[in-house]
Amino acid sequence: MAEKLMDIKDLKVRFKTEDGFISTVNGVTFNMNEGETLAIVGESGSGKSVTSLALMGILPPNGEVYEGEMSFRDKNLRTLSKKDYRALRGNEISMIFQEPMTALNPVFTVGYQLRETLIVHFKMTKQQANIRGIQMLELVGIPDAEKAMGRFPHQLSGGMRQRVMIAMALSCNPRLLIADEPTTALDVTIQAQILTLMRNLKEKSNTSIMIITHDLGVVAELADRVIVMYAGEVVEEAPIYELFENPLHPYTKGLMASIPKVHDVVDDLYSIEGTVPNPANMPSGCKFHPRCPLADIECTKIHPALEYVNEGHAKRCIKV
Amino acid sequence: MLIMNEKEVAESKAVEDKVILKVQNLKKHFDMTKGLIKKTTSKVRAVDGLNFQVYEGETLGIVGESGCGKSTTGQLILGLLDATEGHIYFRDQDIAGMSQQELRKARRDLQVIFQDPYSSLNPRMTVEEIIGEPLVVHGLAKGKSLRQEVVNLMKLVGLGEHQLKRYPHEFSGGQRQRIGIARALALKPKVIVCDEAVSALDVSIQAQILNLLKKLQRELGLTYIFIAHGLPAVRHISNRIGVMYLGRMVELAGRDEIFERPLHPYTHALLDSVPIPDPRFRKEHLLIEGEIPNPSNPPSGCHFHPRCPYATDLCKQKDPAYEEILPNHFVACHYPLLNKNTNVLPS
Repeated sequence: MAEKLMDIKDLKVRFKTEDGFISTVNGVTFNMNEGETLAIVGESGSGKSVTSLALMGILPPNGEVYEGEMSFRDKNLRTLSKKDYRALRGNEISMIFQEPMTALNPVFTVGYQLRETLIVHFKMTKQQANIRGIQMLELVGIPDAEKAMGRFPHQLSGGMRQRVMIAMALSCNPRLLIADEPTTALDVTIQAQILTLMRNLKEKSNTSIMIITHDLGVVAELADRVIVMYAGEVVEEAPIYELFENPLHPYTKGLMASIPKVHDVVDDLYSIEGTVPNPANMPSGCKFHPRCPLADIECTKIHPALEYVNEGHAKRCIKV
Repeated sequence: MLIMNEKEVAESKAVEDKVILKVQNLKKHFDMTKGLIKKTTSKVRAVDGLNFQVYEGETLGIVGESGCGKSTTGQLILGLLDATEGHIYFRDQDIAGMSQQELRKARRDLQVIFQDPYSSLNPRMTVEEIIGEPLVVHGLAKGKSLRQEVVNLMKLVGLGEHQLKRYPHEFSGGQRQRIGIARALALKPKVIVCDEAVSALDVSIQAQILNLLKKLQRELGLTYIFIAHGLPAVRHISNRIGVMYLGRMVELAGRDEIFERPLHPYTHALLDSVPIPDPRFRKEHLLIEGEIPNPSNPPSGCHFHPRCPYATDLCKQKDPAYEEILPNHFVACHYPLLNKNTNVLPS
């Protein structure tokens, strides 16, 4: 049995708005093991990104965790001081985002930003940091890494910037890498390069990866285990093969049937009627019931619990 | 023999009759200027010699990565950009050489659906005004008949009459895209250019819009030019697919043919890069080295040669001709992958 890396129990996050508090994560529970790649899948508004921001302790100023437990290894994240959180973020958890341009500082060179991380977190000298920086760029497949150290972010292409981001994120040997839509902004041939890179990293290092995406193709390529989120809740959790072979929740099934597949072309796609509910106005009972083909009167009243049906496979539905 | 020939002539004529749009040697070069006096320093060859036809009632998908010129091609077809060279025949008229006034008329038949339903709808107009605007501008309806026409269009795309007086911000992304589609349909166009029409939508909404576009095509006999970077959606909706690279069409074939037998090395790698949403089909992807070169300074000869595993000196020197090397399968490559198994679909 692999060692547990992280545990989230009944996490709730809300945002203060002009109309009062709006809760976007409503009791999320899951855990991660060392060396595991976990995918969190969901559409916009599912709460998948907010969950990861809460975990990193970088929610926007109007957001707060108001209930639940979060622990990382032996640390309770809810009581962690700002200073300890900052150390944790650099040394043990790092994150890469969809648009690397927003995360890289445009006025400093790639080398400066890579070195800074290493100098701050490992107390390296500038020279040591430089050598390590070049090694990191080589690791993520940047040609002519020494020259690349002197470049500014705007001088690099989108794919190269994402590689730099990954190099920075990995430079401190994190236990956990959180990747929020890491390939969504990239062209498909560049996406294939980055996914291959992440797959290699996964095999070579013991870094756990949490990949947040809406793209089931990316999930199928990388993940060991999958969590499907809808309206701020986990609606299904399963190991990767189990999820694709035997999806249980009507939302998961709908999602899988509604994506066009290059290897299986149908005349008309299945479509999930309606739209994702507004967090300020959530449906009663099961939050998916207004869009669910199986829903009946019971579903409008009972809020189903997340139940395990077999080893590692859980669903939040009373009809299946 | 003679009879056969006559039959062949008749058949080829029948096909010829169905061509609704014909693009010939189409080029669009943008001048890059520098300094106060706007001295031209270089040219970006966004579109660099395109030839293709679109048949009535079909969906032609155009795919390619950033900077390949697919969106510029769409804008040229719509007359939103002036071509530097070449022709775009819509039926018998050349859109590329038209005056603004003539273009206005032609635009009734050529409409567009944009990617972003947030920025393409005027936030100060009601849905009724947005959908009705083309009818008013072209003087086709007013008063009660205008209202009726707008209501009909809304029903056609799955919106309700009660939403007439609402503003765009009151709608979700998918519904806004429906508004954009209703507006595009208002003038009863023959051809609709869908420029990344579903790319910004959530997956469950994307399916609704793709199904709607297919339904409208069946009911109204529309022709689509579906420009997108998302290959699964393009494969789903298209009859034929063209692949662009650095301003040129490198391959064009039927939607199954191109996935089962890509002939151009770029097409092969591009289609192989698509992640398949099924873990049983995990595989090593064919990776293309390097990145797309700057279109202001494209490589000599075949634009793909610096990244192509099969390139030779010939590829560096000579631009390959774009030819129909198998029936209805066009490719621009000196060494098409004819005797290789290039099927990218899992079996």
